[in-house]
Parts: sequence; structure tokens; C-alpha cells
Amino acid sequence: MRGVASITKEQFTELVQQYERLVYTVCFQLVRNAAAAEDLTQETFLAAYLHRDSLPPGYERQWLGRIAANKAKDHLQSAWNRRTVLPGEEEPFLSHSLAPPAEETALRRSAAAEAQAAIAALKEPYRQVCRLCLLEEQSPEEAALALGRPVKTVYTQLTRGKRLLREALERSGEHGIS
Amino acid sequence: MVFREDGHLSSQALTALAKNEDIFDELERLEIAEHLAFCDYCLHRYTLALEEVPLLVPERSCQKTVWVRIRSRALRLVTSRYATAAAAVTLALTVLWGGSGAEFIPRPILPDDRPSISQQLTGLTGEIGDSLHQTLSGLSDFFDGLHPRHFL
Repeated sequence: MRGVASITKEQFTELVQQYERLVYTVCFQLVRNAAAAEDLTQETFLAAYLHRDSLPPGYERQWLGRIAANKAKDHLQSAWNRRTVLPGEEEPFLSHSLAPPAEETALRRSAAAEAQAAIAALKEPYRQVCRLCLLEEQSPEEAALALGRPVKTVYTQLTRGKRLLREALERSGEHGIS
Repeated sequence: MVFREDGHLSSQALTALAKNEDIFDELERLEIAEHLAFCDYCLHRYTLALEEVPLLVPERSCQKTVWVRIRSRALRLVTSRYATAAAAVTLALTVLWGGSGAEFIPRPILPDDRPSISQQLTGLTGEIGDSLHQTLSGLSDFFDGLHPRHFL
């Protein structure tokens, strides 16, 4: 078995040869674009090389799969934000701690039962995050701990979940947000 | 459904993903990627599912180009270290030369326990020496790592 810190350039080249198709497959299946998937495959191996000392022996597939998923996530997140986050719109990290955004104001105006119903109707992965943060008033850090998710992911899911809630409430016609 | 009630990815979603079925919209793919980026359980299920299907082959292999990027990154690190070392040498020489004309100026009386400038300079030159040594070994390692086949 290969030692964690002893991976050589030749061994890394073998790793690239052995797992290139796996990494490309993960990237392509997530981004659905061949050119982007090729770039992300390269970025995955670059990141893997830079952090090769943390490669757990025997878990190369999962380790590379995790890096590839992260790269694909960053790519998709960036593309999504470019399209959906308008200039001047609050950052996810600021929205919870500073002035309450329109979604929270609207939720406060709504009857508790209706808010609960709207949150209960949300799909995962947003329902649990919104339940904990908006109904049970937990902080995103506490919700992250309770759900076993990274704090940053919870912030992102909370922001997106609130947007989905706003859209649902606007569609209902009774809780429009100006 | 992409996600189960417990927040993990559904088996149907993982199977469809592994079989390369184009049934997810962009937001769903982002949600799946976010989940796979932290969930060991679902990542394990996904990699297991990928063992059952033929993997995709990229049109352009990265086996050669990845080394170009690695070398480029290493070169940036080395040149950055060189710039730091050069700045340190310049500073040291400035201090040394700038202080040479000051020997006739009466020295202020300093407390006994305060380290002299020469002691401080000795320490500084030692640090510069260490930094240069580290940089040169980094450079040496970098060029040792270059192999003709990497340029093919």
C-alpha cells in the first residue's frame, strides 16, 4: 500500500492514467458540458497534486470523486450566481446577520401555520434548513451541526430556500413581497 | 425525487446520474454536486454505481496537459520565493551600506540588555541565508522534477 506522504511523480502520473475517466465522468455528469468537464478534470488533478499528501491510501476513487464534485459544484455555483444573483443583491453570508431581508419580513407577516405549510412543502435539501433556521430560529452554524452539512452549504441552501419560499408565497397571491 | 426525506440522494437519482441520463436541470445538478461535495455516504454510493457502468472518455486527455499546469504552478511558487529573497537581500544591503557612514556619529547610550544592531543584523543575515537556501532547494527540486517526457 502506498504511503500517504511518499507519493512520487511517477505514482501520481499512474493515478492520473488510472482515474482520468472516472474524474471526467463525474465532472461531465454534473456539468453536462464536455469542454467544461475536461477543464474541471484537469483542475481536479491539479488540486489533487497540490494536496497529494492528504491522499488516503486505498480511497483514491472517493478522494478524487470528492474533489471532482467540488470542482463541478464551484463551476455550477458560479454559473448559477451569474444568472440569478443581481448586482446589489445581498450576499448569502450577510443576509442572515444584518438587516432582515424581504423574505424574512414576509414570513413574519405570514401566519405561522401558513409559513410552516410553505416550508413543509419545500423540497430537500431546503426544507430542513429552512425549518431549523426560520421556524426554530437556529443559526446556520447550529443547523449545519444538526444536519451534518458544511456551514457554507447551509448558508447557500438557506438563501436559495428563502428565494423558493418567496416565489411560493408570491404565487399564492396573498403574501406578495414588494 | 432527487433527495430522500432524510436529506440524502435518492437511489433513483444516483442511478440516473451514474447512467448518464440527462434528466436533471441545472439547479438539481448543482444541488447534487453540493451534496456529493460533503456527504461520504452518497459519494460512496455514487462511486459504487459508477463501477457498474462504462466510464466516459474525454475527447482530449489531460495526462500531458496536467503536468504543464503543475509545472506552471510550481514555477510561479519558485519565482515568488525568488522575489521575496531578492527583496530581503536588497533590504539587508541597504541597511548595511546605509549604516557604514554612521560610524563617526556618536552612538546613543543604550541599555545593557538591548541587542545591538550587529546582533540584529547577524540574525537577519541568518534568516536571509535560510530563505535563499530554501529557495534554491525548491528550484533544484523543481528542475529535478522536469523530465523530457513531460514536454512530449
